Amino acid sequence: MRLTPYQIVTPLVALLAVVYAWNLVLRRKKSVLEAILWTLFWGALALVALRPTIVSYLSALTGIENQESAAIVTFVGILFFLVFYLIIRVEELEQRQAKLIRHLALREAGLEKEKRD
Amino acid sequence: MIIAVIPAFNEGKRVAQVVADARKFADRVLVVDDGSTDNTGAVSQEAGATVIRHVQNAGPGAATMTGIEAARRMGATVLITLDADGQHDPRDIPLLLKPIEENRADIVFANRFGRRNRIPFIRRLFNGIGNVLTLLAAGKWVSDSQCGFKVFGSKSLAEVDLRMNGFEFCTEIVREAAQRRWRIAQVPSKVIYSEYTMAKGQSFANGVKTALKILLRSFLR
Repeated sequence: MRLTPYQIVTPLVALLAVVYAWNLVLRRKKSVLEAILWTLFWGALALVALRPTIVSYLSALTGIENQESAAIVTFVGILFFLVFYLIIRVEELEQRQAKLIRHLALREAGLEKEKRD
Repeated sequence: MIIAVIPAFNEGKRVAQVVADARKFADRVLVVDDGSTDNTGAVSQEAGATVIRHVQNAGPGAATMTGIEAARRMGATVLITLDADGQHDPRDIPLLLKPIEENRADIVFANRFGRRNRIPFIRRLFNGIGNVLTLLAAGKWVSDSQCGFKVFGSKSLAEVDLRMNGFEFCTEIVREAAQRRWRIAQVPSKVIYSEYTMAKGQSFANGVKTALKILLRSFLR
């Protein structure tokens, strides 16, 4: 079987990502469930790269048979990702705001950290 | 020094009694007034608490972290967190302190389901869902993961760093405990549910929002 560069790079990247995820589990920075989810995600990517014909099974499973439908589904996927990204950004802003509120509260209570030189 | 931290938002009717009861078991009581629009801060101060005030409501997680940070700077070695609505019985504090004093645990969770408490079905259901979500996000089972009554020993007090502002912070604490390998103890505790505490509790919509946030953060982290 002749492999294209894409078919070599994608499984390697997937392998790295999976090893990294399980490494985080060992370091207790990710739960086992999260690592399983990431393993499934990257495993699926690697599988599609190595065996592109599997997509035809996917087509039968999802009913997406033409390119137009595939494009719409892809854009819906991108929109979902954007919404998730925005939620995370809003959360980060909330966290910054909370830090500011905390800083003010502690300063008002005379519990401000001593300034470092 | 043992410091009790009580995050409070519009709890002017209840917080004074909680402060008075907590003072019997803690060296100092710290109320974090989370931007209340009533007299929560004033009545807490009258009851003998040190009050730290958020200029704006930031959520129970943010208020708890402010209390933790303040307690560290005040030299706390052990920290107790209590809800301000009076649902916990401060007389349980010595029981929760015991595993820390005996060096058997770094963090102690109160377990409202470990005793014969009259807990409404809907609360049992919500807490059960919270426990399952916490297990999925943290990889650790805690029988009452969403309870606000906890004791932090010196190790967990020094290391804890909460980033979530809302009610998700309870799950975050379990996650921190798992990640930082704190020894966990769970102690059955009394809970007093009144019409007031039921009305003040989380709504279904809030619960769903909290659950989604936990899962989303957990997956995207």
